[in-house]
Amino acid sequence: MQRFNFPVVEPDPALEELRAELQAFLKEELEAGNYRREPECWMSSADPEFSQKMGKRGWIGLTWSSQYGGHDKSALERYIVTEETLHAGAPVGAHWIADRQHAPMLLEHGTEEQKLDILPRIAAGECYFAIGLSEPGAGSDLANVKTKAEKVDGGWKINGQKIWSSGAHICHYMVALLRTSPADGRNRHVGLSQIMVDLNLPGVTIKPIVDLSGDAHFNEVYFEDVIVPDDCLLGDEGGGWKQVTGELAMERSGPERFLSSYVTLETALWQLSGKMGSDSKARLGKLIANLRTLKGMSWGIANLLNQGVSPETEAALVKDLGNRLENDLTQQVRAMLTDLPAEEWSPEMRRILNIGVLRSPPNTLRGGTTEVMRGITARQLGLR
Amino acid sequence: MINTEGMVAETATKIFTDLCPREVPHAAEAGEYPLALWDALQENGLTLAWTSEDTGGFGAEYDEVFGAIWASAQAASPIPFAETLIANWMLDQAGLAPADGSASFALSGHTPSADIPFGMHADKIVLFDEAHQEISLFDNREAVRSPEEALSPDGMTQFIFSGHVAEQTAKTNLSRRAIEALVLTVRAVQMAASMEAALDLSIGYVSEREQFGRPLSKFQAIQHQLSVAASETAAATMAATQAASALIKHKDDPEKAWHEAAIAKVQIGHSVEAVTVPFHQVHGAMGYTQEYDLHHYTRRLWAWRDALGNEHHWSKLLGEELAATAPDQIWKGVTTGDWTGGERTAS
Repeated sequence: MQRFNFPVVEPDPALEELRAELQAFLKEELEAGNYRREPECWMSSADPEFSQKMGKRGWIGLTWSSQYGGHDKSALERYIVTEETLHAGAPVGAHWIADRQHAPMLLEHGTEEQKLDILPRIAAGECYFAIGLSEPGAGSDLANVKTKAEKVDGGWKINGQKIWSSGAHICHYMVALLRTSPADGRNRHVGLSQIMVDLNLPGVTIKPIVDLSGDAHFNEVYFEDVIVPDDCLLGDEGGGWKQVTGELAMERSGPERFLSSYVTLETALWQLSGKMGSDSKARLGKLIANLRTLKGMSWGIANLLNQGVSPETEAALVKDLGNRLENDLTQQVRAMLTDLPAEEWSPEMRRILNIGVLRSPPNTLRGGTTEVMRGITARQLGLR
Repeated sequence: MINTEGMVAETATKIFTDLCPREVPHAAEAGEYPLALWDALQENGLTLAWTSEDTGGFGAEYDEVFGAIWASAQAASPIPFAETLIANWMLDQAGLAPADGSASFALSGHTPSADIPFGMHADKIVLFDEAHQEISLFDNREAVRSPEEALSPDGMTQFIFSGHVAEQTAKTNLSRRAIEALVLTVRAVQMAASMEAALDLSIGYVSEREQFGRPLSKFQAIQHQLSVAASETAAATMAATQAASALIKHKDDPEKAWHEAAIAKVQIGHSVEAVTVPFHQVHGAMGYTQEYDLHHYTRRLWAWRDALGNEHHWSKLLGEELAATAPDQIWKGVTTGDWTGGERTAS
C-alpha cells in the first residue's frame, strides 16, 4: 500500500475538444482587445461583461442540472474551463467563487425557490458571491468568528463585521459563517452556522480595502441589524463548522492553486524564444517538471472528487506545494529574463511580471495559510 | 501506474517482508550478501518479469513490476533486483536471452568504462553501446573491476570494457532515450518508495522520542518540517506514477515516455534535499549512526539522484528540449502529458 494515492487519468478526447473551444474563444477575445492577460486573474481580475460572455457560451454552471440553468456536465469539464481561463489570464474573478463553491452549496442546502431563482443567474454569469469567513479577530483562527445571527420572528438578525471579502463590492450575496449560539465551553466549533446574506439589504455596508498595488478588490463588510429570512440558513443550524471545513477541503486542489502565475511564464517563453541561455533552460526544465507533477496531483484529486472520494491530505499537500510553486515561478522568470536586455522586454512582459510580483503575497495566505495547511497535513500524518 | 497489489507485486512484497527484515541491509553493509533473498526472487521468476515468454520469462504487466520494485526499495533490499530487471529488459529488447543470475547495466557512448551500480555483486553486466547501436552481455567475474567511493551502500564500480569478449551481442533499434526512459522511471519508483519509507521512520521516531517532557511530534517546528517532507514525498510518488504510466502506455516505443521520465527525474532529484534534510534533522544524531535504519534510504536517495547525471544536468537537458518547443506545445504537455507535438521554434 502506498501512503499517497493519485490516480493517473489519461486525457479524454471530449475534454480536449472543450479545451480547444475555450482556447479559440479566449484568443479571439484577447485579439479583440476585450481583456488584458493577468496573473491571479481568478481572484483579482473581475469583469462582469466577460463573465456574461462565458455564461452565454455555457462555461459557468457546468456541473449542475439544466433545471437550474446548468449544463449537466461533470467537475472534469469545469476543471478544463478553469485551467484554460487561468492559462489565458482572463478576467474570470467575478463569477469564479459562486461557480466554484456557492452554487454547489445552494444545490445541497438551498430551498427549491432559491435554486430556481439564483442558480440560473450564476450560470449566466450575472450573479456573484462573496466568501464570508474572515473577521478582524478570526483569520487562521477561524472558529473565533464573533459576528452574530440572532433568531427573530421569521428570520435572523445579523450584527458584526467580515473582512477580506474579495469582490464583495460587485457581489450580490455573501455566505457568512456566523455565531448562532454560544460556544460550548472551550468547544468553539459548535453554534456556528452558514447564512446567505443579500448584500443589497438595509444595514449592510461595504467598504473597500486598497491593497499594496492600489487595487481595491477586497472589502470590509459591516452588518447592522440586517434581517434575513429563515430560509437563508444553509444547512444545519450549528453545523457551520463542519460544512465550512468540508468545503474548504474540496477547494484546495484546483488549478487556481498552482497555475495562477503560468501566464507570466508563457509570456516570458514567447519573449525568450531562441534567446535562452543554459541557466534559463535549467530553470525552465525544473519549473515544467514541477508544474507537470502538480497537474498530475490536482487532476488525480479532481477525478477522485468526481467519484465522490475526498482525499483531504492530498488536497492540503497540493495547495501547499502549488502556492509555493506559483511564487517560485515568478522568481524563476525574473532570473530567466536576464537573458534579454531589459530595454528589449515588451511592455506586456513588464506589466505581467510586475503584477505577478505584486500579487504574490496572498498566494500563500488565502484559502488557508501555508502554516494552516502544514498543520492539517501534520494531523493527517498522526503528529497532532 | 505502480500496482502494489497485483500478484507479481504481492509475491515480491511477501518475499521482501519475509527475507529482507531490517537486519538484512545492515548485514549486507558488513559484507554478508543476502543470497537467500536473491534465490527466492529468482526461484519465483521475478527477475525475469520483464523478459518475454519465448525467452523464458513471463512478460508481466509493467505496473505490477513497478509494484515489485516499490516493495524492494521500501525494504532497502541490498541486491540488484531493479538492475537485473533493467538489464534483462535491455537484453529482451535486443532479442537476446536473459542473463543467467544477477545483472547490472551500463549505458556507454564512446567511453570504454562506466559507473555500474552493484558492480561488485552482479554476475553479468549488460552494456548499451550507443555508438555501435549494440547491446552486449559480459560476464562480470572476468572483468577488471574497481570499487569507487560510493554514496550508496550498493556501491558503484568502474568496469573496464577493454578486450573483453561479450557472451552475447546484438544490434538494436533501441535509442539511448528509450533506455533512459526505462532507467529513469525505475529509479523514480525506487526513490519515491524510499522517501515514503524514510517518512514513515521519521514519523515513528518523533512520535516516540521525548524532549522537554513531550514527544517531538508535538512541536510545531517538527510537524511543519515533516509536512513539507510529506508534500515532497507525495509529489515524488505522483511523478514516479506518471512516468510509470507513460512507459506502460508507450511500451512498444519507450522513447515516447522520455519526457515524463525526465520530468520525474528532475522533480524527484530536486526533492531529495527537501526530504533528506528534515528526515535527518528530526532524527538528531541517531539518524547519523550506522546502527539506525535511516541511512539505508537517504544514502540510496543521494546515489540515485546522481545516476545517469544529477538533477541539475537533467533540468538542463529537459530545459534545452523545452526551449526549442513552442509555448503552446509546452502547455499541452503540462496539461495532458502529451509531449509528442512536433512544432518547434529555433532554439
